[in-house]
Amino acid sequence: MLTFIVKRLVSGILLLVLVTSGTFFLAHTAVGDPTAGLLGNSATPAQQAALRAQIGYDRPLLVQFWDWLSHAATGDFGTSWRNFQPVGEQIALRVPVTLSVVVAATLLAAVLGVLVGVVCGLRPGGVVDRVLKLASVVLFALPGFWVSLVLVTWFAIQLQWFPAVGYVSPDQSVSGWLRSIALPSISLSLGAIVMIAEQLRNGFLQVANQDFVRTLRARGLSSRRVTTHVLRNASPSALTVLALMFVGLLGGAVVVEIVFNLPGIGSLTQSASQIGDIPVLLGLTAVTVVFVVIVNFLLDLVLGWVNPKVRDR
Amino acid sequence: MTRTRTAALFAAAAAALLAIAGCTGSGAAGAGAGTDELKAGVFLDVTSWDPANADIGFDGPYLSAVYDPLVALDKDAKPVPALAKSWDWSADRLTLTMHLRDDVAFDDGQKFDSAAAVENLNHLKAGTRSGQAYTDVKSVEAKDPSTVVLHLSERDDALLYFMGLGRSWMASPKAIKANSLANGPDGSGPYTFDKASSQPQSQYVFKKRAKHWDSATYPFPTVRLFPITDQAASFNAMLSGQLNVQFANAANLPKAQQNGWNVAKKPASWVGVQFADRTGSQVKALGDQRVRQAISYAFDAAGILKAVGNDAGTVTDQLWPSGSQVYDPAGNGKYKTDLAKAKQLLAEAGYPNGFSLKMPMSTIFQAWQPAAEQTFGQLGIKVDWQNMSMPDYQKNAPTYPMFLAVIAMDGNDMATLTDQVTSSQWYNPKPSVDAFPEVKALVQKAEQAQPGPEQTAALKELNGKLVDLAWWNVWYQADNLYFSVKGITVTPITGMMFPTLRFIQRG
Repeated sequence: MLTFIVKRLVSGILLLVLVTSGTFFLAHTAVGDPTAGLLGNSATPAQQAALRAQIGYDRPLLVQFWDWLSHAATGDFGTSWRNFQPVGEQIALRVPVTLSVVVAATLLAAVLGVLVGVVCGLRPGGVVDRVLKLASVVLFALPGFWVSLVLVTWFAIQLQWFPAVGYVSPDQSVSGWLRSIALPSISLSLGAIVMIAEQLRNGFLQVANQDFVRTLRARGLSSRRVTTHVLRNASPSALTVLALMFVGLLGGAVVVEIVFNLPGIGSLTQSASQIGDIPVLLGLTAVTVVFVVIVNFLLDLVLGWVNPKVRDR
Repeated sequence: MTRTRTAALFAAAAAALLAIAGCTGSGAAGAGAGTDELKAGVFLDVTSWDPANADIGFDGPYLSAVYDPLVALDKDAKPVPALAKSWDWSADRLTLTMHLRDDVAFDDGQKFDSAAAVENLNHLKAGTRSGQAYTDVKSVEAKDPSTVVLHLSERDDALLYFMGLGRSWMASPKAIKANSLANGPDGSGPYTFDKASSQPQSQYVFKKRAKHWDSATYPFPTVRLFPITDQAASFNAMLSGQLNVQFANAANLPKAQQNGWNVAKKPASWVGVQFADRTGSQVKALGDQRVRQAISYAFDAAGILKAVGNDAGTVTDQLWPSGSQVYDPAGNGKYKTDLAKAKQLLAEAGYPNGFSLKMPMSTIFQAWQPAAEQTFGQLGIKVDWQNMSMPDYQKNAPTYPMFLAVIAMDGNDMATLTDQVTSSQWYNPKPSVDAFPEVKALVQKAEQAQPGPEQTAALKELNGKLVDLAWWNVWYQADNLYFSVKGITVTPITGMMFPTLRFIQRG
């Protein structure tokens, strides 16, 4: 198990270095000299040169890269080119927002997805199963932002149950926080619920037809106990999908954060891209990769615990 | 000279894109938009609490809450007293003497006086962003505790305007020295920043200061500012009652009227084609006045304004804002759409079959690309569009002979001359005034004229000449729009993407 953990950690660190390095050079190639965009129309060449010196853009690219990498290794992602604030602080402010929505959406997807998946697995061809099939087609066809706008129109503007935009920190008000993340989480989770339910349903039916299940039934075990055994054997694939969904939801959060005006890492990525704020983009890339690595690492641990054969891979 | 128009570009482009496509929840949902407190949706988040690093575009409402300016602007964008009670220019207009208030203190208890003003002005002059306003200021000195003197290296008739626009916010000298303004404001403004109730990048809350020298100008006991870039989200917040003022999208005008909201608008940016190569050094054809005129005649500006700009603007050939003293309504329509005349002019210039050139393109300009593509095609002008990101557009556009432009305008006529004609900017890389002796003479006449009617007359003459020469191909001047609920009025100012708090009143 220890070898398994070390292997996963090393590959995670390698991935982090590779992705952030690639992003660094790609961003510098794509954005180029940012001073015109950052200073606006009226900057003189001298003022642009002063800003280049201030942000260290006048140094050779490799020197900049090494400087960034060595500082990032200690958790220092530098300062934003737009507002000269530490990137780490800005990301730290925004991570809780995105995590609030993504974790809530993942929990919703997990709970409802498992419930629906099990019901469909127990009664294939039933009403719920047919509704799930229809929902999977419809929800994948609908764009995320459209679903979000429909939710806002109904629940925020018409019924006024939830705020249309914005985020309330749980420090300020727990109920306010829950209300502010409700609609974004629901709109983010809809597709994931269907996906997990389908995955679990198919896995459930596959396992339910295996010989050992027939043996369990023949031995007179109750339906509930048989279902538990079936679920445990069908769960790895659903768990994998859930972890992948979590990573996917991080990406999907961009749209939701814009529609609901949430100050998360998705909206920060968008604004940093627009003005070419490379330090912020790099910090966000690093943080996102860390999330992905951690989620995958935890998934591997859980799968390794559920199925020891996985540890040898 | 001193503008940061990135925000303007984003704003204009966002509005255009949305036209084609279509608060944090601390307030109780369903509470409706009352007017007991101001809840304004601003397009962008505050750039910095340090006035030296702030952006003029959208930082105005944030900074005007917590800082007092030396100079403010009135509804016509004319400089009016603030912390500077009055000022005098020397006869040669190279020395500006300002007389300061003596009843103001900063959050940290420090008194505002000439030493504080000097500290601030030097800080602003040294600032990478704010320094653009003080290019012509050679030095600043305190004459006595309530008098400060600015010495200019050359005459700058737009200096007071830029100071009023957002380049003279006075912060605590202690905070400047401690370099702590980036972490939070320390000013003497009408409001204090309520950090505990604020959620950075989502909602900023300000409470009215108990005693302020200009208290009557700020009627709201609480001000909440919400940075909301997405216009649909902002409009939804307005509909749900989370906002009572918003930076608006013209596409939502009918719904705003249905809701009985107030609509305020003011010209904010000009939209059209910028001829960067008026001398023909890159593309010979553009050096010919007839070719530039042909392009101006060919575009259906009214159609573009309707289709892309939701009719929120003024079709004009001029670049001085409509409604300004220099703007001449009678001079409009010189380049009324006339494709036959355009082709005739091209033929006379020796380009009956057009010519070829490269132009930059970025996502936010794609709204106007089909119209440009079609019009150039009708003239036989073959455009090879070079796609690039927005930061790259600002960086690379100046290297192209001409490009599509959405450029913020100024509310001051001399600032317009400086920003749009005489100084080198990314959107005006080669001012080329020297290459046109008649233009140069008129520019000098305006620069040397006495401010007031004499200068306005000279600028009018120059404006007419520039339109004749097809200096630019202005299609229209796009308005910035602001919706507010009944009981709150917004007075927009050309030059401010979002007006400072003094321009948002009850009524």
